[in-house]
Amino acid sequence: MLETARYEGRRRLRGAAILTAGVGAYAGFIVWYFTVLEGVDYEDVFENLPPAMLDAFGIESLSTIEGFLGAEVFNFVWLLGLGLYFAYVAGGVVARDVETERMDLLLSFPVSRSRLLIEKFAALLVPMIAVNALGGPIIYLFVVAVGETVPLDHLLLTHLLSVPFLLVCAGIGLVFSVAVDRAAIAERGAVGTVFVLYLVESVVGGAEGYDWIQYLSPTKYYEPTPTLIDGSFEPIDSAILLVAFVGLLILSQALFERRDI
Amino acid sequence: MSGEADRPLVVGGLTKEFGSVVANDDVSFAVSEGEVFGFLGPNGAGKSTTIRLLLGLLKPTSGTATVLGADVRDEAALTEAKRRIGYLPAHLGFAEEATGEAVLDYHGAMKGDGRRDELLELFTPPIERPIREYSTGNKRMLGLVQAFMHDPDLVIMDEPTSGLDPLKQEAFNEFVRQERDRGTTVFFSSHVLSEVRRVCDRVGILRAGSLVELEDVDTLLHRSGKHVRVHASDAAVATIADLDGVVDPERFAEGVQFIYAGDVNALLRELAAHDVRDVEIGEPPIEDVFAHYYGSEETADGEDESGETADRSGAEETADGSEAEGTGAGATNA
Repeated sequence: MLETARYEGRRRLRGAAILTAGVGAYAGFIVWYFTVLEGVDYEDVFENLPPAMLDAFGIESLSTIEGFLGAEVFNFVWLLGLGLYFAYVAGGVVARDVETERMDLLLSFPVSRSRLLIEKFAALLVPMIAVNALGGPIIYLFVVAVGETVPLDHLLLTHLLSVPFLLVCAGIGLVFSVAVDRAAIAERGAVGTVFVLYLVESVVGGAEGYDWIQYLSPTKYYEPTPTLIDGSFEPIDSAILLVAFVGLLILSQALFERRDI
Repeated sequence: MSGEADRPLVVGGLTKEFGSVVANDDVSFAVSEGEVFGFLGPNGAGKSTTIRLLLGLLKPTSGTATVLGADVRDEAALTEAKRRIGYLPAHLGFAEEATGEAVLDYHGAMKGDGRRDELLELFTPPIERPIREYSTGNKRMLGLVQAFMHDPDLVIMDEPTSGLDPLKQEAFNEFVRQERDRGTTVFFSSHVLSEVRRVCDRVGILRAGSLVELEDVDTLLHRSGKHVRVHASDAAVATIADLDGVVDPERFAEGVQFIYAGDVNALLRELAAHDVRDVEIGEPPIEDVFAHYYGSEETADGEDESGETADRSGAEETADGSEAEGTGAGATNA
């Protein structure tokens, strides 16, 4: 039971460690940078920016550590960076094994295709959990180290709510991975799709008549900055993300079942 | 239940098309329990396609096959049957960064590894080293260990000895004979006639996606003839080349070479009657066997090319060129 998930999960450990270290280092830099900027009235700087841009970068209140972290770490790394990362990594989950013909060996095991797919996907939880479970405490420690505080429950919630969002990004990658034979194409397709959805959401937000398009983007349903500042979030958003994720998983399974390897 | 249905491998009208290319065309045969069956054919004939259909990696366009009683179109039944099937693909795509040991641990956890230690004494891949440092032969040996270590009832192998050094090839041949004696059914593909003749009880010959012959090895060898090269005077060469059973005689400066499919004694008597400076009698290259079998209505090159395309579009099996080493034509004109 779960041998594949365990084996593939172990293969993800190294990547998860590098990812977490990188994100931690970046968060450390941002927290340090916040102390450097203290006293600068930089909200004036952003005053002249168009609202769409402020919205795109999740800039709400840069003078507090929560607002600063929300804009510079969560909107930038979690929403965009990790979204793209998990789309990319999931894009390789099946396509890379098909390309290297490792899939021939895996499918000679007494295990169904759908089970193999689920277990291989489950291994992505290793980096996803690591970057949240270790990234959160790292960020908190940095914040405390510079003499600031951030509400623990808000921080926890921001990390927790990122998981359904990241699952959807990975789900988009998985669909590409089972639909395409070559890993490079699946990975690029997945990254491109998530990036375009992110841009579309940012751009059409204010366009009357077309603002419904933004609801197609998973980035619409995860807003870390308000959660970090005052703990507010919409449960329906997370529900929508989870339903979308299950839909993507079922679609991947159906495609994988039918295809020739 | 009796007869055909009880046999570990039954293929009936198996057809696989990739777009307009027919990689397998109505292939039918059956393999009995405890039999070593060789699946012979030039590169690109569609052998890998058949094998991958048997493992459920590809879905048949029409027809079907049963392995250990499980229909290859029935995923649940086939998955259950795979507990008792060993598989060695043509190209071994092990995870490059893993050690051989980690690979075997994983494979063992998935399907069992009761005979692992015994097999590692026979085939000796450096299991403590990562796969990326493996030679083709080492990968092949690791592949053989994982294919047999759960003591399967049916083993399906795609070009099992390609990349093995001659000593290991001989060890493999001996091992397959022992496995057969233990009752294991073995099905493997090859484009090397000498490999097939040493271990197989029966062979099926595939050409351009169609099964063209199915017979026991003695018959095959008898019919495939000998490759003969004679150094003699011009007059002697002329009479020798006129002998019954001489196919495709080719003159060169000091003599003649041809495929001889007639009575060996007649050939020897004829040779003894002349002043022969030198003679070689050996096994013909497989391309000549095929030419002898099916005539040469199409050039070997043209055939290989179309067949190669058939396999590529389906399986991309020749991505690293590992399968294309046998025939110069197949390797270069793709």
